[in-house]
Amino acid sequence: MQQFLIESSWWIPCYGLLGAVLTLPWSIGIIRRTGPRPAAYLNVLTTVLALLHGTALFTTVWGQEPQHFAFHWLQAADLDLTFSLELSSISVGAVELITGLSLCAQVFALGYLEKDWALARFFGLMGFFEGAMSGLVISDSLFLTYALLEMLTLSTYLLVGFWYAQPLVVTAARDAFLTKRVGDVLLLMGVVALSAMSGSLDFPGLYDWAEKAELSPTVAALLGLALISGPIGKCAQFPLHLWLDEAMEGPNPASILRNSVVVGCGAYVLIKLQPIISLSPVASTALVTLGTMTAIGASLVSLAQIDIKRALSHSTSAYLGLVFIAVGIGWTDFAYILLFAHAIAKALLFMSTGSIIMTTSCQDITEMGGLWSKMPATTTAFLTGCAGLVGLFPLGGFWALQRGINDFWYDEPWLIVVILAVNALTALSLTRVYRLVFMGEVQPKTRRAPEVPWLMAVPMVSLSVFTLTVPLILNTLNVIPDFEFFNWSAAGLLIMSGITGTALGFAITLNYAWIRPIQAPLRFFQDLLAYDFYVDRLYRVSVVLIVNAIAHFSSWFDHYIVDGVVNFVGLASIFSGETLKYSSSGRSQAYMLTILLVVGLLGALLTWSMW
Amino acid sequence: MLSALIWIPILGALIVGLLPGSIADKNVRRVAIVTISIALVVSLYVVTQFDTITTGLQFQEDLPWLEPLGLTYRLGLDGLSLPLIVLNCFLTLIALFSTSVTVHRPRLYYSLVLVINAAVAGAFLAHNLLLFFLFYELELIPLYLLIAIWGGARRGYASTKFLIYTAVSGILILIAFLGLTWLSGATSFEYNPALSQTLPLTSQFILLGAILIGFGIKIPLFPLHTWLPDAHVEASTPISVLLAGVLLKLGTYGLLRFGLQLFPQAWAVLAPYLAIWAVVSVLFGAFTAIAQTDMKKMVAYSSVGHMGFILLAAAAATPLSLLGCVFQMVSHGLISALLFALVGVVYAKTGTRDITILKGLLTPERGLPIVGSLMILGVMASAGIPGMVGFISEFLIFRGSFTVFPVQTLLSMIGTGLTAVYFLLLVNRTFFGRLPDQFANLPDVSWSERVPSLIVAALIVLLGLQPSWLVHWTETTTTAMLSDYSTIATPIEFDPISVLPLE
Repeated sequence: MQQFLIESSWWIPCYGLLGAVLTLPWSIGIIRRTGPRPAAYLNVLTTVLALLHGTALFTTVWGQEPQHFAFHWLQAADLDLTFSLELSSISVGAVELITGLSLCAQVFALGYLEKDWALARFFGLMGFFEGAMSGLVISDSLFLTYALLEMLTLSTYLLVGFWYAQPLVVTAARDAFLTKRVGDVLLLMGVVALSAMSGSLDFPGLYDWAEKAELSPTVAALLGLALISGPIGKCAQFPLHLWLDEAMEGPNPASILRNSVVVGCGAYVLIKLQPIISLSPVASTALVTLGTMTAIGASLVSLAQIDIKRALSHSTSAYLGLVFIAVGIGWTDFAYILLFAHAIAKALLFMSTGSIIMTTSCQDITEMGGLWSKMPATTTAFLTGCAGLVGLFPLGGFWALQRGINDFWYDEPWLIVVILAVNALTALSLTRVYRLVFMGEVQPKTRRAPEVPWLMAVPMVSLSVFTLTVPLILNTLNVIPDFEFFNWSAAGLLIMSGITGTALGFAITLNYAWIRPIQAPLRFFQDLLAYDFYVDRLYRVSVVLIVNAIAHFSSWFDHYIVDGVVNFVGLASIFSGETLKYSSSGRSQAYMLTILLVVGLLGALLTWSMW
Repeated sequence: MLSALIWIPILGALIVGLLPGSIADKNVRRVAIVTISIALVVSLYVVTQFDTITTGLQFQEDLPWLEPLGLTYRLGLDGLSLPLIVLNCFLTLIALFSTSVTVHRPRLYYSLVLVINAAVAGAFLAHNLLLFFLFYELELIPLYLLIAIWGGARRGYASTKFLIYTAVSGILILIAFLGLTWLSGATSFEYNPALSQTLPLTSQFILLGAILIGFGIKIPLFPLHTWLPDAHVEASTPISVLLAGVLLKLGTYGLLRFGLQLFPQAWAVLAPYLAIWAVVSVLFGAFTAIAQTDMKKMVAYSSVGHMGFILLAAAAATPLSLLGCVFQMVSHGLISALLFALVGVVYAKTGTRDITILKGLLTPERGLPIVGSLMILGVMASAGIPGMVGFISEFLIFRGSFTVFPVQTLLSMIGTGLTAVYFLLLVNRTFFGRLPDQFANLPDVSWSERVPSLIVAALIVLLGLQPSWLVHWTETTTTAMLSDYSTIATPIEFDPISVLPLE
């Protein structure tokens, strides 16, 4: 039985892909009579199958040595591309998390997208998404991982561009694809280089190689930087972070997955690559630097957002920044726990956000207010999500962040400040959102706000309960420290930072008339943060402008120089022919003279050496 | 067996051309399609009979023809020609299917297409230099006519440009062939890789230079490419499919067969410069494509970029990179055929190819949703997204070339990134957004217009998921090509232009 489960493990990603393929008859309009719903049900079914299969596998591999399973895909010359899978409690656990959240998001989508005509297409893409992610976490080959990352890029593009008729969606989809693609191409450079240097693309083989490799510092640094740029794009880290914020134009159920597990997949790849990245101190430093910049920067930016989804998505970048720091320093266990706790809490937050958007048909938090009494389940879910995200004892976020502080306690104390700052700022931002959306005066858009239908409420409430049980799971995984070894000061600092953030959040005045403050300095800071430090404008006048200029120059060059020369040759020959035709005068004396002269010249030339 | 691949289409062309006027145009089309289908079946039969372990030529045919001239009718097939032969028949069939049923002067049209098919097959099979040249030139005239008669508004300019460019390419190739044979004192134009080694290196350089420029025009490489965008823009859709899918492959095939294999010594010396040339071509094609507003021009410039990868891989000449060459030829053939076919459908329905005018075509019911979805698949395949054949060919090329030319390979990889940029612009502008009122009443796309693209798309995905099917046929040959190459090329030491400090 165990052997069978392991050998059939490659089926787990296939369920999602199968679901995606099965939706085709509905999404391209071959079957119209039934409406798109059966496609959605089929996808939910395949996700349930994946979840069950994953659970069975999980019970098998739990507590065991990692099992490996491989099959050869392509062998050519000195290249051997093997699809190898690693089935450990971590990887299969990640599959469980992904399929579980995917199931929740899909059921949620049944309610959220009830009236959307393209429901089948949406579920097809979700199946694709889920398949690619669950393949990615059990993949043990860098090649397969890269391929699946690219598929995630593609499906992100298609999911963000789901409502492609809206102008903002179009640019968001474009930016999502291109920024991720920049990271992916750099990663591909790293993959190609690694493959050429180490000869193997399986992670165990790469680790062996990395232990013995003697690279010059430049090569190691370039390699490390190439390898981290893929995850930088995927996890929306500075400088490739813009897409996540814009991607919030897409449908909310996809955002649930994107902000929880998709960004997590990028970080997962990073963790897998950590032994190779650590070959170069430059790459590790880059990880810590970029992580810190993103963590602090994104936390600040989320404070000034008025779009509820964008406010949350920036905090995703911030938490992933912490993961980057952890990987850069080498504490991968902190990274894993943080990813886990963050994924669940963020998914829950986005579900409650989805309910709010569905009910109010609005994403602008300045137009909301007073929802707490009207939507109790949503409010509970939002609060639970907040509690799970920030370091509130005894929920998941607390244990994750506490672990981080503990890890950095002696070696890198300044990073503790970063963690505490992120925690405080997140608490502040969430409190601000909570006050604007749930408390305060009822506004026109929130006046008629019934609680969401059961298809959305059930996954939301189940995930709320699940968020509360995260500490139990962490306890089962033995990552919660015993009381004897408990770092009380760390816990104290963490809780204090959370309280400070919350208190600040309640203390600031949220005057609706003040949404655009009149005081110039405040306004400057608000705009700076609201427009994400103007990074997109910076890109527009730098990278985009340069590429555009080169493109237009080469087009001009092609048209006027390369083609110009060709056309000139053509024109010149026609022109010379047209001119020469007047030389045929009909006088034979002139012809004779020409012939004589030319023959004479030729003779002179040929006999030149004899003179 | 191999002669059948050449003479069946010729016979078909004769029949189609001479069919009496009383026969309906529809049936003329059917005869052409049946002819190519038979050729495709024959080529597939050849595939099943092909021995993947033998390194030499298979199915050889050798008939004396003009002995005093050194011209013999010598055909042969190896793993390099095999995929291209099948691709040729397959894409000709696709081109026939995507031809409008009401095409003008159908007899002439279909017979010209059949002649092209025969000529290309002959060029891929010929193992006599002069015979190759004959077939190479034979393909030129029908294509000229196809552009000049059935083309767009500036067809006269485009077709003449194409004719002059390709004629020059033919002359240069002929010069190289004659030079090689006469200078080495051979009596016939037999294909013989050992011939060039008797020559001094300087004459080898000159001859290889002629070959490179000659085939460089055909491929096309920067700065010899300007005929291509014009020809593509003016040619009708099926002709674009043929041109991009099959005819450009003659150039890369020639590069491998008559450049790398005939002049290994000179090739090894020139390789670093060729790699730089490839990088320039790749980046130039990609950057120029970004600035284009005509969809066909954009795809045409993307061809310039993607064919540059083949030069890079050929310059690197490792077993893997040569395999990548063959892969890239097949994948570029399929992908560009798909893209041109789809652009053709868009043009037929909307009347424009300008991406600044087109918008929102993905809209269901009133737009072109399936064409749009296939277009997304096509551009993603072209941009090298895994799961499709474009990715694996690019990966093979990059991985194969990296060990020899690391810097040039990395620079070429920027080209793949840029591919994503311009094709994403294309999809975003034309298919996303709101459908403007002027396109609100587009004619329906019939299934007969979709089926060719669907088949090509299916093949792109299939080969992307199962590349080993193609590797299987080609690997032995590319490895054997290299074993000759490395024994000849190694004695000459040259300083690498750029080497990353790997150790």
